[in-house]
Amino acid sequence: MIATLQSSTSQLAPSKHEAARGIEEARLDWRSIAAIAPAIIILLGFLFLFFYGVFQSLTDLKFGRPLVRFIGLDNYAALIKTADFWNSVRATVVYAGSAVFVQAALGLALAKLFATEVFLARLMRPVILLPLVLPPMSVALMWTTMMDPQSGIMNYLLSLAGISRFAWISDPATAMFSLVLIDVWTYTPFFALIIFAGLQGINDEIREAARVNGAKGWAIFLHIELPLIAPYILIAAVFRLIESLNQFDIIFGTTQGGPGNSTAVLSVRAYITAFQNLAFGRGAAVMVVNWMIVLVGTFAMVKLWRFVRQRVS
Amino acid sequence: MPRKLAAGCGHSADFVRKALICCTLLVASAMTSTHAKADDINWRQFEGASIVWAYDIHPYADAVAAQLPEFEKLTGIKVTPELYPDDAYWNKLTIQLSTKSPSWDVVGTGIQPAWDLAPGQLLEPLDRYLNDPKLTAAGYDYKDFFPALRDALTWKVKEGQIEPGSGQVWAIPHGFENIQLFYRKDILDKYGLKVPTTPPEMSAACEKLKAADGAITPLGVRGVRFWSSIHTAAISIAKSYGVHDFLIKDGKLETGLESPESIAFHKDYVDMIRKCAAPSFANDNWYQVVDGINSGRTAMAIDSNMFGFWNDVAGKPASGKIAFAPSLRAPNSKNFESNIWIWSLAMNASSQKKGAAWLFIQWATSKQVELNGAVAGKLVNPPRASTWADKAWLEYAAKPEFNNFVDTFKSVQERAALAFTPRVGFAEAMNAWAVAMQKMVNGADVKTTLADLASEIRSSM
Repeated sequence: MIATLQSSTSQLAPSKHEAARGIEEARLDWRSIAAIAPAIIILLGFLFLFFYGVFQSLTDLKFGRPLVRFIGLDNYAALIKTADFWNSVRATVVYAGSAVFVQAALGLALAKLFATEVFLARLMRPVILLPLVLPPMSVALMWTTMMDPQSGIMNYLLSLAGISRFAWISDPATAMFSLVLIDVWTYTPFFALIIFAGLQGINDEIREAARVNGAKGWAIFLHIELPLIAPYILIAAVFRLIESLNQFDIIFGTTQGGPGNSTAVLSVRAYITAFQNLAFGRGAAVMVVNWMIVLVGTFAMVKLWRFVRQRVS
Repeated sequence: MPRKLAAGCGHSADFVRKALICCTLLVASAMTSTHAKADDINWRQFEGASIVWAYDIHPYADAVAAQLPEFEKLTGIKVTPELYPDDAYWNKLTIQLSTKSPSWDVVGTGIQPAWDLAPGQLLEPLDRYLNDPKLTAAGYDYKDFFPALRDALTWKVKEGQIEPGSGQVWAIPHGFENIQLFYRKDILDKYGLKVPTTPPEMSAACEKLKAADGAITPLGVRGVRFWSSIHTAAISIAKSYGVHDFLIKDGKLETGLESPESIAFHKDYVDMIRKCAAPSFANDNWYQVVDGINSGRTAMAIDSNMFGFWNDVAGKPASGKIAFAPSLRAPNSKNFESNIWIWSLAMNASSQKKGAAWLFIQWATSKQVELNGAVAGKLVNPPRASTWADKAWLEYAAKPEFNNFVDTFKSVQERAALAFTPRVGFAEAMNAWAVAMQKMVNGADVKTTLADLASEIRSSM
C-alpha cells in the first residue's frame, strides 16, 4: 500500500529529471529569444517608423511652422473633399490594375513561347530579362526621350507605318496609356520568368495522359496547364500589384504626375505634397491612404491565390 | 655712380639706369602687395578641409567649377561639386536640407526656394561671416552687389513668415536673370515676321509661322508642373495684366489668381500656348527651351535672357542668330514686366565645415571670379556693379554676335523686379498654379480652374 502511495505521489510530483528538463527548456527559450531578437528589433523598428508616419499624418507638420499640432483626422477630411485626391485614387488603381493585367497576359504568352523548343525562343530567353535589370529611373528617362512627340523615335516608327503623330506622355488622354506601356515593357519579363518556372514544373505525363484522352493543344493549355500555373500567375501578380500600386520612379521620371493631374498617382502626390510643397502632415496622410489600398489589394490577391492553390491541389 | 658701376661691370650706363628703375618698381610693387595682404584674411585657415558644393547643371556652375583649382590652391580646401538636373536638384535640395544632412555644405538657390527653407532654420544666416574681419576680406565689398539683389536676399523670419526689407542675409548672389523674349533673327527674317509684343500678337505670329513651316515650334516656354515654369514667362506677362499672386484684402493676405485680370491673362496665355508651344509643353523645362532655340527647331522663347546669350557665344551653332526683346505685355498695357531670378550661394545650416564653406562662397562671389566667369561667356548678368563697369566685360558683351543683348538688358532691367510676394509656402502655391496651367492648356475651363486653384491655395494658407 505504502509502495502504491509512493508510486502515486512520485507520479504526481515532477521528477528531478523532469524539473531539470524544464529548467533546460527555459534556458533554451532564452536562447531562442536571443536568436530572434535582431529580427524582433528590426520588425519593431519598421513598425515604429510606420506608426510614426501614421502619427505625422495626424499633425499639421509643415516647414516654417514653429509648432506642430495634433489635428486628428483633419488631413484625411481635407483630402477626401478634393476632386484631385479621388482622381489620384482612380489613377493609382487604373495604373496598377491595367499594368498587372496586361503583364500577366503577355508574360503568359512569352512563357508559353519559351517553353517550346523553337530556336529563336531559346535565344530570346536571356535577352527578354534585360528591362528588369535596368534602374526604373533610367527606364523613365529613356522612354521620355523616345516618346517626345516631335523628336522621339516612337513617332518616327509610327510614321513608317503611316500613323500620324501621337502625343504620348504630353497629352492627358494618352499619358496613362503611355505609362502603362512603359511598366509593361519593364516588368512583363518578371511574369514570363515566374510562369515559365510553373510550366517547367508540370509533369509531362499529365499532358501525355490528356493527349491519350484526345485533348488537343489549346484544350491541354486551357484545362491542364492554365489551372496548374494559375497559382504562379497569382503569386507574380501579388508582387507586381504591390509594386505597381506604389510605383513612383517611372511615373515621376516621365510625367511627374501630369499633364494636369492625369497621372498623379498617390505615391507621386504624396511626394509632391511632402517634398515639393513641404506639407509633411498632408503628404503622410496621402501615403497612409496609399498603404491602405495596397493592403486591401494584397489581401484580396492572397485570398484568391489560396483559393486557387487549394483547388489545384 | 651708375656710370662707375657700369664701367666696372662692362655694361652701358643706360642699361644700369633701366635696371635700377626696374628694381625700384619691383620693390614698390612688393610693398604695395604686402600692404594689400595686410587687409586680407588668412585664406589657409581651413587648409585640409573638404566641402561639397551642390548646384543645378547650369553654365553658372560651369563658370565657378572652371576656376575651382585656383580656390583649392589659394585655400588648401578641397571642393567637390555635385551637379544635378534642374527638377532633380530642387527636390534633392529640399530633402537634403530638411533631413538636416550635413553632406552638402554650400548649395545653389534662388530667393523663392530660400523663402521656404529659411524659416525651418535649414539655411545658415550669413551676416556673422560677412561682418567677421577674420573671415571676410576687406576687398570683398559686399555693397558692390546691386542693392536690389542684396535687399531681395535679406529678410526677417517673423512668426514663421517672411518679412522682407531688413533682417538677415540668407544667400549671396552670383548671377541673376531677367525674363525676356529672345528669338532667331534668321527664322523671323526668313518668314517676314515682326517681333510680337503681346500674347495675341504672338498667337497670330505663331499661326503664320506654323503655316509657313510646320517643322518649327514657334515658341519655347517651360510647362512642367513645377514652380519653375511659372517664374519665367507666366508671371512676367501676368504682371503686365495686373495679376498679383497674393494681395492684401480686408487686412488679410489673399490669393489674386481668380481676379478678372487673372482670368483675362490666362485666357490669352493659354490660347498662346496652344497655338505656339511644342506638343511636349507639359514636359518642357529650360533644357528643352535652350535646345530648341540653339538648334533652330524653335523660333522664339520667353525665358531667362542668358539662354539667348550663351547660344550667341562665338563658335556655337546659333552664334549671332539670336536677338533679344522685352517680354510680352498685356494688349492694354504700356509697359512690359520682367521677373528676376537670382542664382545665389547659401550655406547648409547643418554643415559641419561652415568656415571653409564661407571661404568658398566668398571666393565664388568675389569680384575677380565674377568677372572671369562673365568674360568667359558663362556668368552673364553678373550681380556686381564693378563687373558692369569693367571694360573687359562691357567690350565682350557688346561683340556683334550678341546682337542687342546689352541694350535690351539695360531697358528690361529698368522694369525688372521680383514678381512674387515673399512668403513661406511659395512652392506649394506656385506648383499648384503650374498644374492648373497644364489643365487649362489641356482644355479645362479657365474661370473654373482658377477658382479651384484659388480654393486650393487658400486651404494651404
